[in-house]
Amino acid sequence: MRVLVNGEEVGTKERGCALCGATWGDYHEEVEGNELFFCCDMCAKEFRNMVQEVKRRKGWERVEELEIRGNYYTGRTCVARSRGRETKFYVRFGDDGEVETFRDVE
Amino acid sequence: MAICPVCEYRSPYWDQISSHIRSKSNSSDVQHVMWLNRNLTIKELTEEELTGSLEEFFSLKDGLAQWIRRRFVEKFYGERPHPFILAMQSPTRGVLLGYVLEHQHFLRNWVRVLAAIIYKTDRDDVVRSEMENMEVEFFGFMGRPAHYELLIRMGESLGMRREEILSTPPLPATASSIRTWRKIAETREWAEVMAAMHSLELVADRTLRKYGAKMHYFKESILDSQDFPREVKDFLREGYEADQKHAGEALETVEKYAKDKELVQVTVLRSFDAFSKYLMARLERGMQFEPGLVKVVEAVTG
Repeated sequence: MRVLVNGEEVGTKERGCALCGATWGDYHEEVEGNELFFCCDMCAKEFRNMVQEVKRRKGWERVEELEIRGNYYTGRTCVARSRGRETKFYVRFGDDGEVETFRDVE
Repeated sequence: MAICPVCEYRSPYWDQISSHIRSKSNSSDVQHVMWLNRNLTIKELTEEELTGSLEEFFSLKDGLAQWIRRRFVEKFYGERPHPFILAMQSPTRGVLLGYVLEHQHFLRNWVRVLAAIIYKTDRDDVVRSEMENMEVEFFGFMGRPAHYELLIRMGESLGMRREEILSTPPLPATASSIRTWRKIAETREWAEVMAAMHSLELVADRTLRKYGAKMHYFKESILDSQDFPREVKDFLREGYEADQKHAGEALETVEKYAKDKELVQVTVLRSFDAFSKYLMARLERGMQFEPGLVKVVEAVTG
């Protein structure tokens, strides 16, 4: 799975957390068959929940690429891609890492 | 005395705080990592770099009130202003209705938290200023309608019935922020509560441009424009005139009476986080009326 945060490819300790791009912390988790680096387990939980939500809403089997822009404060505008398909959405997470707001973006 | 802004571990030396925070970060402690990401930098620093960064971040060389102003400007009016503030530069009906529906809950909680300051303080001047603030914001003052009433009237002028406004529950983000402020009111010393709440009134403080703000809360030309109902202008004008005075005087009071300035700093930062989340709730509520408002977020994050 290829993940970009604010224009930079992420997902390793050197490049940054797969959700927020931070290089603090040292937490790894497998998502969609890929070992990804996260700064904390909250970011990992949010990332997993976001991927699940995209798959559920779109009926996709997997997400192959994610472009994420934004941060905790602004919420995130994202583009997800899979098998030549693409969907754009806005997402913000709640206090427990759940998807609190999810809106399709035209 | 140096302080960990998350768990409030104290030390005479910032290098010990730096070591503590790095140790927590190395074990991916959520709260410590999040604080670093949200307040200092998302790029990992060495212990020495972090020491310098913390020391500079918490430096009170210009006093506590100025520190609060500087941090507020950075967070809400800096290079990337908060999306809601950006939306307020040319507010649409959706933005203003989002404001009305969420802010009614903020104001109802506001007076309750100010009541906690009154309950906790031993200073009569503080009691008087908080009671005056409560009158202006919630009950009405010198025959003028309260800010709360002006807010509801703004919603009515935009086509929403009063009963509909009052019966709309807060979005989860607003409810979460209110929980944070109530916890501050219940658990912190009164000067901290005062700083946490009245620093938020800086949002409409016209003098923030002097401290680096890139824009005002809204374009002042709105107040003379024919494009908005009178009730919208009445609400915006009232807040604009009151908040500058409220914030300025309260921050001076905090500076004068705060016993532990580092604890005030830590509490203020928690309040800023809650405020940012709450302002996003206003915008997200607006998106329910105008889905295109998501473009405002893209303008900030793009």
